[in-house]
Amino acid sequence: MLIQRLLTLGALAVALPLCAHQACAHDGTGHKGGRIADAGPYHIELVTRDRTVEVTIYDAKEKAVSPAGFKGTAILVVGGKPARVVLAPAGTGLAGEAEMPLGATPKGVVQITGPDGAAASGKFN
Amino acid sequence: MSPFRLPAASRALAAALARMTLALLALLHLALLLLALPFLSPLARAHEGHDHGAPQAPVSKTIAPRGEASSAAFELVAIPRGDALVLYLDRFATGEPITEATLEVETPAGPATAEATPDGSYRLPAPWLATRDPGRDHLDLVVTVTAGAEVDVLPLSVALPKAAESAQAGQEAGHAAAPDSGHAGEGWLHRLAEAVTNRLAARDPGAGLAAAGGFVLGLAAMGLMRAGRRAPVLAVLVLAAALVLGATAFAYEGAGQGHPEVRAAFVPPPTDLAQRLADGAVFVPKATQRLLSLRTQVAAEGAFRRTVSLPGRIIPDPNASGVVQSSVGGRLAPPPSGTFPRLGTRVRAGEVLALVTPPVQRVDLSDMRQRQGELDQQIAIVQRRVDRYQKLSLGGAVSQVQLDEAQDELKGLKDRRTALDRIRQEPEVLTAPVGGVIAEAAAVAGQMANPGQMVFQIVDPGKLWVEALSFDALTPASDAAARLADGRSLPLAYQGAGLADRNQAIPVQFAIQGGTEGLRVGQFVTVLAATDAERKGLALPRASVVRTANGQDVVYAHTGAERYEARPVRVAPLDGTRVLVEAGVTPGTRVVVQGAELLDQVR
Repeated sequence: MLIQRLLTLGALAVALPLCAHQACAHDGTGHKGGRIADAGPYHIELVTRDRTVEVTIYDAKEKAVSPAGFKGTAILVVGGKPARVVLAPAGTGLAGEAEMPLGATPKGVVQITGPDGAAASGKFN
Repeated sequence: MSPFRLPAASRALAAALARMTLALLALLHLALLLLALPFLSPLARAHEGHDHGAPQAPVSKTIAPRGEASSAAFELVAIPRGDALVLYLDRFATGEPITEATLEVETPAGPATAEATPDGSYRLPAPWLATRDPGRDHLDLVVTVTAGAEVDVLPLSVALPKAAESAQAGQEAGHAAAPDSGHAGEGWLHRLAEAVTNRLAARDPGAGLAAAGGFVLGLAAMGLMRAGRRAPVLAVLVLAAALVLGATAFAYEGAGQGHPEVRAAFVPPPTDLAQRLADGAVFVPKATQRLLSLRTQVAAEGAFRRTVSLPGRIIPDPNASGVVQSSVGGRLAPPPSGTFPRLGTRVRAGEVLALVTPPVQRVDLSDMRQRQGELDQQIAIVQRRVDRYQKLSLGGAVSQVQLDEAQDELKGLKDRRTALDRIRQEPEVLTAPVGGVIAEAAAVAGQMANPGQMVFQIVDPGKLWVEALSFDALTPASDAAARLADGRSLPLAYQGAGLADRNQAIPVQFAIQGGTEGLRVGQFVTVLAATDAERKGLALPRASVVRTANGQDVVYAHTGAERYEARPVRVAPLDGTRVLVEAGVTPGTRVVVQGAELLDQVR
């Protein structure tokens, strides 16, 4: 009985980091064709089209999280100037409108604040 | 004592005992698991193995919690200090402080701009630090840095002082552990373990008493079990449970409003001292980095030529300098302007610098007087003859040819007479052969100059050469530099080398490229000329390599915003200012190039 438990525990201890390693490789293109970055306990996908900024929030298992209760801010560098875009829940994610066209892959940071008030940010290069 | 030899009556008791032992074992497992949970929790929190930028807890108790972020251009450190956030901004590659940037921070209370302070840091009033959720150990901010034309957005995760350290916050933590979603179960156990550890560390007699009590209770339980009494065993277990729960409450009380003055005595407030950490790395807070003026350089690999150093001195460019010498011996006199050019006077080519009047010897003088008299006499005779011929030529008694001859003779005599006068008065004019600056002047009015004596030396200060003595032949293509005593370095262009030995070496001449300000002719310099042999490695300034107590050469790599790690290296001499690191540092490492000696002194 004891040995069984120990074995289970050992197997779990070995398996956890391995799983984590595989799950780690999630940089790249997301479900909506945008870029994916880590933000605290979430993964966020950033899609910019002309002036609109769309951010979709996923949990650790790449499952979309309802944006209700979330708010966010995207600060993107466009043409050497920072553009601050306030994001609000819209549809399946957060969305906002910038004052100038953003281009397809602006670099910057997206900060989201969850319903519990904890902020997390993801960097896009 | 074996259960098999027991009578039947006591066998039942033995079986019951065995069952209880098993149950106890199970309980023990549970307890072990519960105890282990707090230690496993950090692993569990970093979801799926990666850390998501949660700031590392400071490795030393004397370092305040902080956060750092970096990009290709900037390096940012933020430290919560009371109700404000102190930010330090540096260049990533060089470590140079940036004091005139604009820092816009996305705070929980909306965007705010940090103000630059006179000490080179930035200060952001942060009232939201006091009203934060006490269960949170870090704070995520986004900082937009605008420094000149460079703009970067940095996500910054700042570690916050532990909730237990502030009296009020600690108390709230006891009740408000729930918001830490998903990790509610381990919250109290974690804190309990921490509180007990802290108490043991603080040599609190309470913790020792609790441990002793537990031991005694355990002994009592064992004794009762052996005696076969179940009810008292249960009672003892209940008592133990009560004790554990009591200890929990007691730990909370201690962490909360209990004895703040006692805690303060045992845990001094962090002072951010530069220190050597347990892993050998050196922690240097940003403020100290600025004090020590630490600078880094990103090491890049390349092929470099080894150089030799030669003794040399500065000479004037032979084509842009000249001397003014008197060709005859004579008395020096100032030029028509009235004064001799002084040292440093700029002169044009052809400008009159001095006059030399050759002295007339006494013998010569009488000779000249005699000659003068003769000429005067002849002039008088010829003059009369010309007058007479002029009258007679009108009547045709004297031919025109005779008159012309007489006139020519008179003219010649007069010319000789004036030339004799002029020779006595006219001095030799000394002119500047080239344009430049008077480098040497030996002219004093009235002084007698010998023939061939140098009166002035003219040097063009923009055109100077270096003559060095080399023991081996240098290739014409090799680049060279001259190092001055004050540390300046001048690029040199090879001009040529002599073939005749001088002190077992050959003279090699180089032209100084670029600025020659502050140089003087004859100044000693060290010429560093590259040889043909090429070596691969990383070139670093000589000052970046430090010799440690054990005689090993190390360089300090800047691995974190406030973290430096010593890297043992193998170095080879390269030139006067740089060394070649052949092994020990990978390209791209930020290496401390200024202040490495000071960094090495940090204990």
